[in-house]
Amino acid sequence: MPISILSLPISDLQYALNCMEIDELIAFSLCSKRTKTLVKDAKIPIEPIHAQIYQNYIILKIRSSNLREAEDESYSLFIYVDFSNPWIELDRKNGMEVWRKEGFTQSDFIAHFLNVFNISMIHALSIENIEKPFLDTVKQIIPKFNKLKISSDCSNDVAKMAFSNLSPIATKEVAVHQNLFDNENDFSKFLTRNLECAFFIDYENSLELLLNDLLVANIDTLYIINTKITEKELNRFLKLWMKGSHRFYRPKYIKLSLEKKTEHEEVFRGIKCDIGNHERRLKRADGKELLISILLTYVIFEFQ
Amino acid sequence: MSSTEQGTSSAAPAEPTTAPESAAAPEVPESFYYVHGKDKVVHKVSAGALQHSALIHGMISNLGYTEEQAKANPFPFENIDGDILQMVVDWCNQHKGKPTPPEDTNLPKQKEKLFDLVLAVNYLEIKELLTYCCKQVAMMVKGKSPEEIREIWMIPTDAEDEAAEKEAKKRAGKEAAGETAAAAGDAK
Repeated sequence: MPISILSLPISDLQYALNCMEIDELIAFSLCSKRTKTLVKDAKIPIEPIHAQIYQNYIILKIRSSNLREAEDESYSLFIYVDFSNPWIELDRKNGMEVWRKEGFTQSDFIAHFLNVFNISMIHALSIENIEKPFLDTVKQIIPKFNKLKISSDCSNDVAKMAFSNLSPIATKEVAVHQNLFDNENDFSKFLTRNLECAFFIDYENSLELLLNDLLVANIDTLYIINTKITEKELNRFLKLWMKGSHRFYRPKYIKLSLEKKTEHEEVFRGIKCDIGNHERRLKRADGKELLISILLTYVIFEFQ
Repeated sequence: MSSTEQGTSSAAPAEPTTAPESAAAPEVPESFYYVHGKDKVVHKVSAGALQHSALIHGMISNLGYTEEQAKANPFPFENIDGDILQMVVDWCNQHKGKPTPPEDTNLPKQKEKLFDLVLAVNYLEIKELLTYCCKQVAMMVKGKSPEEIREIWMIPTDAEDEAAEKEAKKRAGKEAAGETAAAAGDAK
């Protein structure tokens, strides 16, 4: 008498699923609603999913958290989602394979992966380069993610558009590898976003930073690599921070890499502080402390 | 009746240099039990080999049968096919008193046999063998596409699942109606 796998005791079936690799689990989950539920219930641990956008397609990187597999990078599964075609291509050990599912669009596939692996959203979305018209498609396919990275490979136009379209839906972190800020793209306004981390880097075009930018910042950890700010502005920021007792200031860590070497004496002019080897400590009346490290062209503020 | 040659070998005294305590201990004769499946063919298995099965181990641990009593009272496993029980007995004998290896390649490759073995091993609670069997089940679909998996594992489509569910509901409804009618008849 023929026997189906679904007639096996549920615990045995779950054990068999735990022995399968990510691509086989996805294949199994796509067979039917029941198989999808079985994979979901097996609670297979996976690493956060990364999505990279190139021209007109997305590459999803899915990796098992299973220690046996996690040691080897080759166990990562790469899934290609083409913006123009409702199917996925998988880079498997035997070569590329195309999988279709009736009625499934690109966003259905991505929603399916998140659902079966019990993940609420794509962890990191990286824009390596993209054709402008597809930016809305990306937003539609991946409506939410933790981290956004805009690469230096994008044209400035595309990077600006990607930033304005996608940075508002990043929930935790934004990293931009080129200077996008001008009169149209206000840096101060971006710094008021409620984020855990923001990272700006452009070695060719330095980012001009003003006192107000530092005052309005609402990001836990902020890195600005290659920036311009005067010693006078830094001095005023420190004085205002000292005066701001009992006033909430969100940032915990700000690291500025400056275009030019900073004059310590100018930065700390008129400010009473404890002096250490490479750092100075400011103490406020409400007990809060600020540790400032100045090393060549780096200025680091640690709010304690 | 199955041979238990491998089973009895573990009762041999250990080398004095490696385990002097066991060498000094008096040799205890190994006890044997008897099991049969659906085909009624009786298999003689040592208690040591049967320790792999949590179910049988639990059953025999307090029996204290003599050889004759055990022979006269084989454990019946009517829900297990004879050839499947033979596989289980062979595996228990081969792995008696030995650490279980990480892989076992001697498991059946045919789907029906493997699934039957999983059901039997699950019932007999032989954890290590169940682990091997489940791995073997997973290996059946290595590198396969959704369509191939559906075929190999005989997975019904959503439409087939829905039709089966409707049919089951209809049958349950009819049975319930039949029972109600019978109860009403009895009351009259």
